[in-house]
Amino acid sequence: MWEILRRPLQRGSLAGEPATTLPAGIAHATRAAESEHELLGEALREEVRKLFRGSLKLRHLDAGSCNACESELLAMLNPFYDLQRFGIDVVASPRHADGLLLTGPVTRHLEEAVRLTDQATPRPRLLIAVGDCACDGGFCRDSFAVHRGGQALMPVDVKIPGCPPTPTAIMRALLAALGQDAVRVLSARG
Amino acid sequence: MTLQPGELFPLDSALRGIRERFSDAVIDADRTSLRERTVVVPAERLAEVAGAIVAEWGGMLLTLFALDERESAGRYRLHVMFSMAPEDAILTLVSAVPELAPAYRSITTTVPAAHWLEREMADLMGVTPMHHPDPRPLIAHEGWPRDWHPLRKDFTTGDTISWAPRWKFLPVEGDGVFEIPVGPIHAGIIEPGHFRFSTVGEAVLKLDARLGWKWRGLEKIAEGATLSRGLELAERICGTCAFSHALAFCGAAEEIAGIVPPPRARALRSMAGEIERLLNHLTDLGGILTDVAYVVGASEMARLKEVVQQSADALFGHRFLRGVCVPGGVQRDLDDAQQLWLRRALADVRADVASVLRSARANAAVMDRLTATGVLTAQVARDFGVTGVAARASGSIRDGRKDHPYAFYRELDFQVVSRTGGDVLARLDVRGDEIVESLNLIDQMILRLPGGPLVQHVGELQPGRWGFGLVESPRGLLSHWLRADDHGLIGEWRVRSASHAIWPALALCVPGNIVPDFPLINKSFNLCYACTDK
Repeated sequence: MWEILRRPLQRGSLAGEPATTLPAGIAHATRAAESEHELLGEALREEVRKLFRGSLKLRHLDAGSCNACESELLAMLNPFYDLQRFGIDVVASPRHADGLLLTGPVTRHLEEAVRLTDQATPRPRLLIAVGDCACDGGFCRDSFAVHRGGQALMPVDVKIPGCPPTPTAIMRALLAALGQDAVRVLSARG
Repeated sequence: MTLQPGELFPLDSALRGIRERFSDAVIDADRTSLRERTVVVPAERLAEVAGAIVAEWGGMLLTLFALDERESAGRYRLHVMFSMAPEDAILTLVSAVPELAPAYRSITTTVPAAHWLEREMADLMGVTPMHHPDPRPLIAHEGWPRDWHPLRKDFTTGDTISWAPRWKFLPVEGDGVFEIPVGPIHAGIIEPGHFRFSTVGEAVLKLDARLGWKWRGLEKIAEGATLSRGLELAERICGTCAFSHALAFCGAAEEIAGIVPPPRARALRSMAGEIERLLNHLTDLGGILTDVAYVVGASEMARLKEVVQQSADALFGHRFLRGVCVPGGVQRDLDDAQQLWLRRALADVRADVASVLRSARANAAVMDRLTATGVLTAQVARDFGVTGVAARASGSIRDGRKDHPYAFYRELDFQVVSRTGGDVLARLDVRGDEIVESLNLIDQMILRLPGGPLVQHVGELQPGRWGFGLVESPRGLLSHWLRADDHGLIGEWRVRSASHAIWPALALCVPGNIVPDFPLINKSFNLCYACTDK
């Protein structure tokens, strides 16, 4: 344990701090993004506190994505973004979830599994489409083997476009949704 | 490779053997590609010839697929492709299967590695391998109409076909045998697949792995598309080996066009390929450590992956290296400052990975879970044509970067990492050592990055020509076969990923282990579902 912690401590880089030290002039955008996710996280925490008493539980539902969206959802839980700090976590069962993170265009093969998982999620629940495929079928929307995203099966509450959306983009979209749409959606369904 | 006096190169010895033993096989002189030779074989002799190539002349099955040539020639055409490693040579068997009642004797009866390939071909093209040991559908599940085969040319992708969810599983019977169905939806951020365990107590007797859930029909929707649309599809077969797929796709297109990308492009391709390997190996090491509850190590691996991924984003413009590789070369360049920065960033990664693995290996609880768990024997690995980390952890020294050098690998100096244990620990160790090799390779390329242009112009695809791209992806050899249609667009596209080859072998590593070790075994291979289903 100490062996692992020693080096980051020596360098002064632990979770939440910039993962890499970028030189001036190179990839300025990345440096800006590093502080952006902290600000977004703080704002998200506030929305989650108001709407969900500080704890928003989401269940991931892969409906045929290329797994780039999965990779970015996993990245949100790494020590750099560490989404759990802000009161948002990914849970193992739909029965424990306040919402579903849907990825992929919904393949014909998975339509039944997607429906059953959705039915197992207690109401009211948020259906969040992550990535272009889940929003409208994305790059393969014209294929015979897929539907055109989650909306083909059920109403989608939040759409997060991107191929794939970066962790920061997902946080930004979640914040926008929780700030406005989610309130309306949840209160309407009561 | 070096030869003893009087010894023949593998390809030549196979060709001589085929000529002597199979008088009805015709060695095609038209095919002029330097590394590929084509042999036309009657369909009824296919299993016999393929069996001899693997058993006697050291060939390894790379891929197998069918093409619909009913309109032009009144037949289906079968391609069975073998790597003749260590020689950089590919041997292709070509067979004609009649249009009416298309069937032939299954190659799986002599070459087990053809198992899933033949099932997939039967689904998608409706060419039946007779006497196949497991004739269930693989990719297009049981509920689709039996006479519907989407890769046939008379099916157009706009048509809607109705489908009923239905699956058949292999039963295991006996006192105290229980079935545990798992999936397709799993408890975590994981891809969908169905695993049917037959167990007695905690021990697994048999694992029936059903995939195909993520089938998006990508090979079909590529037909009639331009190269740039094809590349878009290739980069989205799999998110985590997007670059390897792009590279194999571009390799196939470049073979059709008869061009070789300029040296700087080839070096940058190798560099991006090694960064992709780092990303995947770090993810997989973190996954193994997560599944043995060594959380501090898992967190550190996740942090390191983020470091590399942000570097990829900063330097190549995309967190998954999409948009880097284009037909004819690359679209991204690194200037001197960026190269220097990459070396510094990766130096930290090297030291940190070593430190985490040292700590993990010093932990008795970790070692207890990893040792002797999920053993893939060298025999099973060979029989199923397993490549990549999985094969090299079971004694193989095959690596596509050495055997069939592409991009810049011929000019680079590196070791093929190998272990003999075949267990989860061996796969962990191979990845740990390969991370070091990848970092060395990136260092070498930065020191010797050639100058010059980034792209060689690829014109129109010449109608009817085909090309083959072979890449050592983070999980093993993946191949893209591409043929141009009459208009210079994509006529047929056949993709085989490393995961496709390894899945059936993985299912054989599980019996004898306890159910709770399955997630760990699965994670130690970390095969891709999207890559397999396409």
